[in-house]
Amino acid sequence: MKLDDPRIKRIIRERSLSFCLECGKCSASCPRMLTGKEYSPRLLAQKLITEPEDEAFIENSVWECLTCGMCEERCPSGVAYSRFILDMRTLLAGTKGLKGYRSHDGALHSWMRLMTSPDLEQNRLDWIGPELRVAGSGPLAFFTGCAPYFDVFFSWIEVDTLSIARDSIRLLNFLDLVPVVLGEERCCGHDLLWTGDRENFETLCRQNYEEFKAAGVREVVVSCPECYQVLSQFMPQVIPGFDLKITLLMELLDREIRKGGLSFQPLPRRVTYQDPCRLGRMSGRYQVPRTLLSLIPELTLAEMENSGRSAVCCGNNGFINCDLYSKRIQVERLKEAKATRAELLVTACPKCMIHLTCAMRDPLRQGSLALPIRDLANVLAGQIEWSGGEAPVGPRPR
Amino acid sequence: MARVNLLGICCSWSPFACYNAAGMARMELPSNFDLIRVMCIGRINQALILRAFEYGADGVILLECQDEDCRYGPGPEVGHNNVQRVRKLLHLLGIGQKRLVEKNFAANEREELVAALWEFARDMEAMGTNPAKPSQEREGP
Repeated sequence: MKLDDPRIKRIIRERSLSFCLECGKCSASCPRMLTGKEYSPRLLAQKLITEPEDEAFIENSVWECLTCGMCEERCPSGVAYSRFILDMRTLLAGTKGLKGYRSHDGALHSWMRLMTSPDLEQNRLDWIGPELRVAGSGPLAFFTGCAPYFDVFFSWIEVDTLSIARDSIRLLNFLDLVPVVLGEERCCGHDLLWTGDRENFETLCRQNYEEFKAAGVREVVVSCPECYQVLSQFMPQVIPGFDLKITLLMELLDREIRKGGLSFQPLPRRVTYQDPCRLGRMSGRYQVPRTLLSLIPELTLAEMENSGRSAVCCGNNGFINCDLYSKRIQVERLKEAKATRAELLVTACPKCMIHLTCAMRDPLRQGSLALPIRDLANVLAGQIEWSGGEAPVGPRPR
Repeated sequence: MARVNLLGICCSWSPFACYNAAGMARMELPSNFDLIRVMCIGRINQALILRAFEYGADGVILLECQDEDCRYGPGPEVGHNNVQRVRKLLHLLGIGQKRLVEKNFAANEREELVAALWEFARDMEAMGTNPAKPSQEREGP
């Protein structure tokens, strides 16, 4: 990196970094800084503009960010901080190699790169039982993401992210939609993208797009917010003439429910909701999950102290730099959830589920943070029914 | 037959003593075989095994001490657990689970070790190259 590298100048310009007023709202709201990490978004912006010779500081800071978007939310000048971090990581990875401490020794990134193989022959559909109706080709597809891999790798914390995929397909089947589930679907590439590996990310994008095209898919339903962000915002940048419609499962449900005929069985529970960063701040979906939860009779939604636009990150992103500060963020977040006296923590992202479950299981906390955690799709699939006693079109989930 | 890349991850105690003795006795080993020496097979985690495949290995063999011989205690047990779990990931990825081999040796079993390596090389050559090889390799940290 040179002082006057035109690529850095371009990133500063494109991401509006020079609009920074040094007001410090970003640092004051950064979950990493609030938990004591020596990392300051404001200082990084200032150094990059006024002291770019402090390369060590800049490089370290660029890899420290959680890219949760909280700073961006608070910034009065409209600095696109997360995209700035993304651009800087891509640039630094290209010139100085991939950095950032990979959690789990990079196992997740390894399997994501292994998936770029053109001759891949995965066995990833073992979880689809006879109770689920799926198709090999057709206009509508469901994107599973890395769930089959997560459940094997994270078996020791007993997360069941495949239940999200199963329940999503149950919900689609309930609406009489039979989605295509690809046997050679690959990781969406979210984690590779956000850790600077643009090359492999683009390969995954192209391969997934080709697989969808080969199966005659025109619309892809996604449940995971990270996959949604990648497929709807980044994939069109990579694929010229991108013509797939990307739909969030919860929005499809919201639309179908508005048509009438659907209702939910009562769930007498007090629940709280964790806004995933990729769904809330990055895609602007705050209301849909809350609307869907509010449709369930007898369910009380108790909001956490920080929710919606100011929801705190689940502590980690892209499986890099999980450290004691990540843990502190998670502990604080779980304490907030506990403070709502909720009996169930609902989230909409498998990563939130993994990271928060991991923190809950800390043996030194002796279960004081433990709280049942389920995905929105799980909760909805458990309660949905046809109202008015009509014969259901599709099989009832569960 | 296609040339395959073979990697051995070898505990520094019993299996390496065998490997060393085999070398001293000038016993022939497969030419496409590379060895990584670690202090204990308990040092190896799932990520390191996966990374071997990411970096282009067609077969990986873990050379371990026998369970009761571990100088540190739980080494071989950690090795068994990792192999069990990585095999499930390899299955998902469509990389044959047989591409990951686990063998244990006592310190005096140099002939057995050399025979195991040749058998490993033959099996991998019969299976051919690994279908799931990344199209481009990137250096990790």
